[in-house]
Order: sequence, then C-alpha cells, then structure tokens
Amino acid sequence: MCNACGFPRRPGHWTEAGLATPHDRLRARFRRAAILRRVLKPYGLTVHDDGVTNGITLSTLSGASVIVDDLETLWTEAGRLAGRPIDPLAADA
Amino acid sequence: MPDGRIRLTVLGGYLGSGKTTWLRHHLRGLADPPHILVNEAAEVPIDDLLLSAACIRVLAGGCACCTGKAQFASVLRSICDQHPRPASILLETSGLADPAALVAVIRDDPVLVHHILVTEIVVLVDALNALAQLATDPLGRAQITSADRLVLTKLDAVPALDLAGLRLTLRTLNPSAPITGAASGVVVPLPPLPEGARAVPLPALTGLDARPVAAVRLSLPADLDWAAFSLWLSALLQARGDDLVRVKGVVNSPAGRLLLQSVRRVVQSPEVLPAGHAHERDGTLVLIGRGAEEASLRRSLDRFLAP
Repeated sequence: MCNACGFPRRPGHWTEAGLATPHDRLRARFRRAAILRRVLKPYGLTVHDDGVTNGITLSTLSGASVIVDDLETLWTEAGRLAGRPIDPLAADA
Repeated sequence: MPDGRIRLTVLGGYLGSGKTTWLRHHLRGLADPPHILVNEAAEVPIDDLLLSAACIRVLAGGCACCTGKAQFASVLRSICDQHPRPASILLETSGLADPAALVAVIRDDPVLVHHILVTEIVVLVDALNALAQLATDPLGRAQITSADRLVLTKLDAVPALDLAGLRLTLRTLNPSAPITGAASGVVVPLPPLPEGARAVPLPALTGLDARPVAAVRLSLPADLDWAAFSLWLSALLQARGDDLVRVKGVVNSPAGRLLLQSVRRVVQSPEVLPAGHAHERDGTLVLIGRGAEEASLRRSLDRFLAP
C-alpha cells in the first residue's frame, strides 16, 4: 500500500469522497478513528490509528489485536474479535 | 460529463425478456447513440446480428458478472483508452447476469472506478412469463430488486387483470422503481390499475428472505458529519447488505452534494452534483430493503452521529 493514499487502501473508496489534500485525509483518519473508538467501545474493542503507519489497529481488552486497512475488513474483524457481528441495527449496539 | 466519467447504463432482464428487441428499437430513435456492449453467456454470439449499430462489441462465452468478469473489465478498460472517448456506454447483460455484480466489477477495478459511472439499471420484464420465473428463480427476483427502472415487454400478449397483478407483484419486490411499458422499444403508458387487482403472492424460496421489501426515507441533518455518516452506512451495509437492496440519496459532504447509490453491499464511487441546483430531495436518504424499519434505522444513525 502506498504511503500517500492512506486509509482506506482501495482507490476511489466512496468514503474518501471530497478528501482532496493530504491534510484532509489525515484529519479524516483521526476523525474516523475517534468515531470508531466510540462506536466499538460497547463491544469491548479499542481502536488506534496514529496517522503515520498504514491501517487501523483494533484490540480487545485482553490484548488480541489486528491491523486492518479497509472498512469492510474492519467490520468483519471487529465482529470476529468481539465474538458477535457488529450490527448497527442491533438493539444493544 | 462533469467529472469526466463515462456514463454506463445497464440493460438487464431475464432470458428472453426482450432486451435485444428493445435495444434495437431504442437505438433507432437516438441521435447520439451510446457505445453498445452486448454480453452473451453462450459461446456463439447471435444477438449482434440483430443489432446494426456502429459501435458494438460482443462479449461472448461467459456472463460478465461471473465467468466473464475479467474479459468484461478489460473491454471496459479498452473503451476508456479510446480517442475520442464515448460519452456513454449501454451494456446489454446476459439473461443470467445479476446487475449488482456488474456494478461490483467496476467498483473493484482500480482503473474503472475512476472512469466509469453506472447511471441507471434498466430491467426488462417479460409480462407473459415473469410471474412463473419469479416464483421459482431467485435470480429473477435479484434482477427486479436491483433495478432503477422496470420496463414491461410483451404487453399485448397478456390480459389486463394479469398485467395489473404483475405490476403489483413487482411493486412488492421493488417499491421505488418506476414501471413503464414498451412496445417495439417505444415507451407506452400503462393503463391505471383496475379495481380488484391484487399482487400475486410469491412462494418463499429456500435461502431467500420472505419479509416484504419496504422503502424508508431518512432525512439527514443539514450539517451532516460525513465521516460519521459514511462509517454508519458502511457498517450497516456490511451487517445488513443482503437485506438492504438499494440505498440512494443526495448527501452533503466536504466535496459538495454527492449522489450516493448502493446495490446490496456495493457502494459506487459517488457522483458529485453541480452546486447551486439544490433540490428538495437533498439531504434525504432512501433505503429499500427487506424488513427496513424507520425507527431502528434512525436510532442507529443517530448513535453514529452523536457528538
């Protein structure tokens, strides 16, 4: 993965719409990580993105962790680590 | 072409639904015909003999959504390299194609995603045989649900009451797509639905969800947080992409007004709409799917958008 394009890796990913400059992209990365941290907290997961290295690190409270570089993988891996699928429509999500 | 991408119209429909006939008549009326791609699942192409357009390419020997994927992508790439480039392409799919899978081919190709935009999925429905196909074949239902526009063909062969029943049945599968009729490629208005017409109940197919398809409109705040919204939609489609057949809407983002579209799990790279033509539908997201409920969708979006 190239250093310039940042997360997510796939070119033209729709969530990247409007992020024209590296500044925008970096800001969006931090913003995304902050939202993910809040959303995934109830699942017992922590989210880390330092903005420099590629990908987002997901960890469980017991220390298992995985680095993912696109959103589709992120939701799948988060579901695997949490032991239940990440479903935004679930009543307790 | 405000963003320089080639507009691609997908013409789908079941085997024998009249795609080639419709296309042949449709092309006659056009001053600026699109580049035509015809996909045939069989090894020996026949349909191109019926069509006599100037720019026509045949992809034979494999359906472009599965076995012929690589060939489909390479032909689209070669069209992107042409000078001058065509402004639009019309793809006639094979009768076995799932239009959603074709959109996925373009989305997953690092070149095509920047050069091709699927603007419309037109699905032809054989008024005579559609009900029988829909009753037994999950593919027929998948084609209907992924359509932007449904065109009924072979109208003259069907009694009025049966036709009304078919139209209501199509509504239950795809509540948002407008339905028109076509005779010899020309749009003909459909008569108003007669009294007493009912949708034909479709039997549940194994592996298919029998819940009715509903369309839900969610209004989005004017100062929408694009990062939170896009994360929500991506999580939602990942978890419920099999149920949510279509998501469409005009959304305000850092890039301006975006026309956002998804077919099942596949979200297309959004089209940036010109500024200044704000429309009343701006900031509304339409979600069409089985078991879609406004209250739970609204609650989950608000949870992502919460500061």
